[in-house]
Amino acid sequence: MLFNSLSFVVFLVIVLALYYSKLFNWTGKKRMLLFASYIFYGLWNPPLVILLWISTLVDWITGKKLAIEENKRKRVLWLLLSMGVNLGFLTFFKYRDFLLDNFTTVVNTYGYGYQTQPMDIILPMGISFYTFQTMSYTIDMYLKRTERAKTFLDFALYVTFFPQLVAGPIVRAQDLISQFYEEKRATVNQFIWGLFLLILGLFQKVVMADTLLSDTVDKVYSSDKILNFWDAWMGTLAFSGQIFFDFAGYSTCAIGIALMLGIILPDNFKYPYASLGFSDLWKRWHITLSSWLRDYLYIPLGGNRYGVVRMYSALMITMLLGGLWHGAAWTFIVWGGLHGTYLILERLQRQYIPFKITKWNGMFLAFTTFTCVNITWVFFRAREFKTAWNMIGSMFYLNPDGEKVLGSFDILKVGIIIGLLFICHWFMRNTSVEAVSKKIPPVALAVVWAIMIFLVAIAQGSGEQFIYFQF
Amino acid sequence: MMKLKQSLIIALTLFIVGITAWELYWRSEGFYPTLDDNEALWAEQRFRVEKASSNSILLLGSSRVLFDMQLDEWETETGIRPIQLAFVGSSPLPIFHDVVNNTNFNGTIVVGVTPGLFFSSTSPDKDSWKSPQSKVDFYKKRTYAQMSNHILSLPLQKNFAFISEDQGVDGVKLKELLGKINVGDRVVDSMPLFHEFGEIELDRNLTMKPITVSDTAYANSIIRVWQFFGKKAASGPPPDKASTMAFFLKDLEIFKARGGHVILVRCPSSGSLRAAENMGVPRTEFWDELVKASQLKAYHFEDYEQLKHLKCPEESHLSAEDARYFTTELVKIMKEDGAFSNLKTN
Repeated sequence: MLFNSLSFVVFLVIVLALYYSKLFNWTGKKRMLLFASYIFYGLWNPPLVILLWISTLVDWITGKKLAIEENKRKRVLWLLLSMGVNLGFLTFFKYRDFLLDNFTTVVNTYGYGYQTQPMDIILPMGISFYTFQTMSYTIDMYLKRTERAKTFLDFALYVTFFPQLVAGPIVRAQDLISQFYEEKRATVNQFIWGLFLLILGLFQKVVMADTLLSDTVDKVYSSDKILNFWDAWMGTLAFSGQIFFDFAGYSTCAIGIALMLGIILPDNFKYPYASLGFSDLWKRWHITLSSWLRDYLYIPLGGNRYGVVRMYSALMITMLLGGLWHGAAWTFIVWGGLHGTYLILERLQRQYIPFKITKWNGMFLAFTTFTCVNITWVFFRAREFKTAWNMIGSMFYLNPDGEKVLGSFDILKVGIIIGLLFICHWFMRNTSVEAVSKKIPPVALAVVWAIMIFLVAIAQGSGEQFIYFQF
Repeated sequence: MMKLKQSLIIALTLFIVGITAWELYWRSEGFYPTLDDNEALWAEQRFRVEKASSNSILLLGSSRVLFDMQLDEWETETGIRPIQLAFVGSSPLPIFHDVVNNTNFNGTIVVGVTPGLFFSSTSPDKDSWKSPQSKVDFYKKRTYAQMSNHILSLPLQKNFAFISEDQGVDGVKLKELLGKINVGDRVVDSMPLFHEFGEIELDRNLTMKPITVSDTAYANSIIRVWQFFGKKAASGPPPDKASTMAFFLKDLEIFKARGGHVILVRCPSSGSLRAAENMGVPRTEFWDELVKASQLKAYHFEDYEQLKHLKCPEESHLSAEDARYFTTELVKIMKEDGAFSNLKTN
């Protein structure tokens, strides 16, 4: 089920009515939330709920065993079982065709003439998110960093909690399960603020991403022509806006819905396009994934504890796998590789050409970071390398006679939106929507709120899927 | 300290005032609530095929079948209300292929032949193929969430003029409104303004809007669109008669083998469009050959005195009144010809 759909509106109203009714005690409410979460997922593809059940069951049993098992070898085996099942699902459903395709290519370079038939398996929505979430629980249990979930119900709800089930934020066990132990009720202010965040998220998705930017992106990236400088840049800038509004919109909705239930979810975005460098970017963009990769990949790979070469290798491996997490294609790996390279170059710069960031050079640095991020988005968005290289060529003015596919209004529209987005991120980088809302008069907040609902209503989103669902 | 309750009440009030004003504005501009002929509406009819009997009739084809074949008249004449599966700008072949290969249906299928679309291509990249195939794919993959979204959206579509998926000049949703803004001539869009000139019902019975008949300028704007597509088709690859016919005949064989019946119909066109069709896809080379190769009951509007003089207001589709007449007369002709001998009709 999509947040930007009529079914979800009805679903949420029913869930909230049951949650705040006196029909259930706290355990009953949690059961209702769990059941609702399975409905939320199952309305998309009922059989795939079974995967959720298996993942939940395996990690629950593993967690239980790890809580009491002291034998190191057995602990490792339990951990491997959980990893095997979760990564096995991920590999089978997400990477099977990619791996097979590459295997075939390699084998055929030796002249074997091997042929395979892609299985064309449906990708279970949100599998990358919930497998990472459950794995974090098991790894933390293995490392004795978290307590075992008190009941199976609490654990199952942690894995399946519908606001963040299919596209995050990826929440750690200690941050969410513990919230299920005692009855939660949103205060009136929390409930209304949650509703505001839900509308803000829908506005980002339906109006900004789908209505204002997606067509420009599709027009540019579906073109088989070599494009003009302006078209290539505007298409890419539009994508940078689209993916931000799409994903940040989902996270904002998720945080808002959870808040309406009295549950706090962590922030996933903090104005990333005003980042001062790439370390800063990854503390602001998809924060819960970057912190997951840091804690469960980069640090176990050695982090910065074993010298420069090991650190840079760990950084690059983490970013390459981070790229692969997003999609089973070499373009995503290149995207990750570019970010890894940026991070390494930034560390070298800090070591050999350090400088102090002031408010004067800060904006230039943020702009440079944003520009470099846009280069990486080309590989993220392009379906194949040919398109990506053509786009990069056009963006670096190597194709001065390239085709024009965008009208002047498209260029103007994207220029204004992305310009405002950048400025907004710059001014908001050290604050939050909540902090700003506290400073403005209630009427001004109401007007902004009303405009957003109005624009969502007249945009009439056609239920476009969130981009990150495919990851 | 935020006064959120106050903000919420003001926001909701402003929203209700704003959206009411928006609705009233569009109504004052002559817009009124209509249903969208989208893939979800099509899928509802496609679903009916699963339970259809050998006494059922399916209508396949492009917009001419949608506009010209009226379900009430079919039902009056035969006692059977057909399932309308035609779709605008589409070749009937992907949907025929789907019905033949993915269902057990063995009733009657009426295939509307608009030569420019039927014989265009079997390439999945062609719009005339992509569009109907996307409906078939949607039906196969539609989720329970999509079905419930469709059901929930119907009351909104029926009651609000501003809820509409119409595109182009009649589009009222934000994306369409922004799409109408034109600044400079960096990229020239030579596609003429296109009006949505049909109104559809829940069972996909579609009729031409009265304005298409009463307003010549309105009708002419649609004719210019046909001319635009005609020129585009003329500059593109020629019709692929061999592969389209082979594709159709292969499915036809399977369908006939399980007891199904197929009837071919060529709906009216007129004016410059008819002349262009005669040039680009002449009857003798396309329709006549198809009829000969398929050995099916086939009805070309030009062969019947009562049908050959019908005029299409925008050269391609019949007005609501003429469509009712056309359907009644066509079904009578078919009945007299024994085209429905397999059915228990009135």
